[in-house]
Amino acid sequence: MNPSDIHIGLKGVKKSYGKKEILRGIDLTVRRGEILSLVGPSGSGKSTLLRCINRLIDIDSGEIRVDGKDIRKIDPVELRRRVVLMPQNSVMFPGTVMENVMTPLKIAGIEGEKRVVNALRDSGVPEELFHRDAEKLSGGEKKRVALARAIALRPEALLLDEPTAGVDPKKVELIERSILDMVKKRRLTVIWVTHDTEQALRVGNRIASIKDGKVVKVGKKDGFEWEGVY
Amino acid sequence: MGGGLLSGIPYTPEQALLTMAMAGVLIVVAVALMRMKRLGTEKEYLYALLKGGVQIFLLALFLTYIFSSPYWYLLIWILLIGMVLVAGRTSAKRASGMPDAGSVTTPAILTGSVVVIVVLALSGAMPMSPQFIIPLSGMVFGNSMTICSLTSERFLREIRLGKDRVESALSLGIPSEIAMDEFGKQAIKAAIMPTIDRLKTLGIIFIPGAMTGLIMAGTDPLVAAEYQMIIYFMITGGGMITAALTIYLMRKKVFTKAEQLAEWV
Ligand SMILES: Nc1ncnc2c1ncn2[C@@H]1O[C@H](COP(=O)(O)OP(=O)(O)OP(=O)(O)O)[C@@H](O)[C@H]1O
Ligand SMILES: [Mg+2]
Repeated sequence: MNPSDIHIGLKGVKKSYGKKEILRGIDLTVRRGEILSLVGPSGSGKSTLLRCINRLIDIDSGEIRVDGKDIRKIDPVELRRRVVLMPQNSVMFPGTVMENVMTPLKIAGIEGEKRVVNALRDSGVPEELFHRDAEKLSGGEKKRVALARAIALRPEALLLDEPTAGVDPKKVELIERSILDMVKKRRLTVIWVTHDTEQALRVGNRIASIKDGKVVKVGKKDGFEWEGVY
Repeated sequence: MGGGLLSGIPYTPEQALLTMAMAGVLIVVAVALMRMKRLGTEKEYLYALLKGGVQIFLLALFLTYIFSSPYWYLLIWILLIGMVLVAGRTSAKRASGMPDAGSVTTPAILTGSVVVIVVLALSGAMPMSPQFIIPLSGMVFGNSMTICSLTSERFLREIRLGKDRVESALSLGIPSEIAMDEFGKQAIKAAIMPTIDRLKTLGIIFIPGAMTGLIMAGTDPLVAAEYQMIIYFMITGGGMITAALTIYLMRKKVFTKAEQLAEWV
């Protein structure tokens, strides 16, 4: 593989909380424009890993590179605008749905209602919600607004932490569709954390599974061996 | 006539002791009532009376000594520095879990208080004698300490409750300063609102402490009212400085240089 094809690269990543080692040497590469499904049992360190890549937390040892550059050498605010994390517990900011998407843009010095509207549409948020109080939306609606908030920044990569958890099955498909369409349209690199093995197969180009803070398997989705993953 | 320091209160210390003993009848009343109601608080009440009493008599002896000492201007420095350190340490306990909290609370209290004390001195509101400097400084430090405790406690609580919200903001490339802004404002407001509310009811519900003292000491009520207002200027001005500085300094503890929430939060 050509090294410039690697968008996000992790080497020997370790992270402990107190005495408890959560990530125990993670090696992983994500290619430009691919969707990597990340699966693993609860508590295996999936969220922790995404938070490390976005640098919400620092790793203890090893290295994480984005575009070949150590993330510790990139300004964290800039990094987070390029590699946006949609956290497992996304929280709405006070204000309307539009304002929620607008706020991070404004702070980044970008004006553009058009961009906000496009992001909302691409995320499958219906127009009638645009001016509603974001904190009063349903769980699934909030997930989509959080997605819009992330993509409005026009990132190069998206870190999705269970973007459809707690959403009713009919809407899951809708969210999946909008993410997949958008990713294709914008050529985004995606790490998609999910508990749903079916979803991992549906959305991912490749699948990686972690267990107890270690990568146990990475592979093409065709013929992916689920044994030992859960 | 009385030889006390406050010419308005017409007792010598010996006469005052007798008066105090007579007023002690009220202790008997309180204890009797506690017994009757079986509150079981008599012991604690008597202990508190004794402890508090000993403390203020020691303070009185100490003040008497300072007031009459030719070296009062040296002793007062020790006292003021002691006040800041105690206030800083007391406040630091409220910022639960924050490492090296004293490095936030002590400078915040010190700065707010020093500004006030300097203004009081320059404006002549605080004549340069220990009779004024000590009680006024005590009030200023005490007030700054309360404000600092309230601010830091509230700020930490808000940040901890709003952790997911703060991290949602950070993860969208919003700088920590903006991500926490709202919580900082809430904390400052919560700390200064009680003072503002008290200002509004001033003179209607109660006569504030300094005014009470001045009137009893024979000061013209108008002057006492003016002085009371000066005291409110100083505790609100100093309080705001302390509160704002507390948040400013805490931001550097709560967030890392890499714009992350610190792990201890
Ligand atoms: N701030 C923290 N302090 C201490 N321990 C933590 C912290 N955050 C996570 N952990 C621990 O790290 C481990 C991995 O957590 P993480 O959230 O990464 O798991 P996960 O794979 O995302 O699980 P889930 O599928 O349930 O979301 C868990 O045991 C968790 O308790
Ligand atoms: Mg998780």
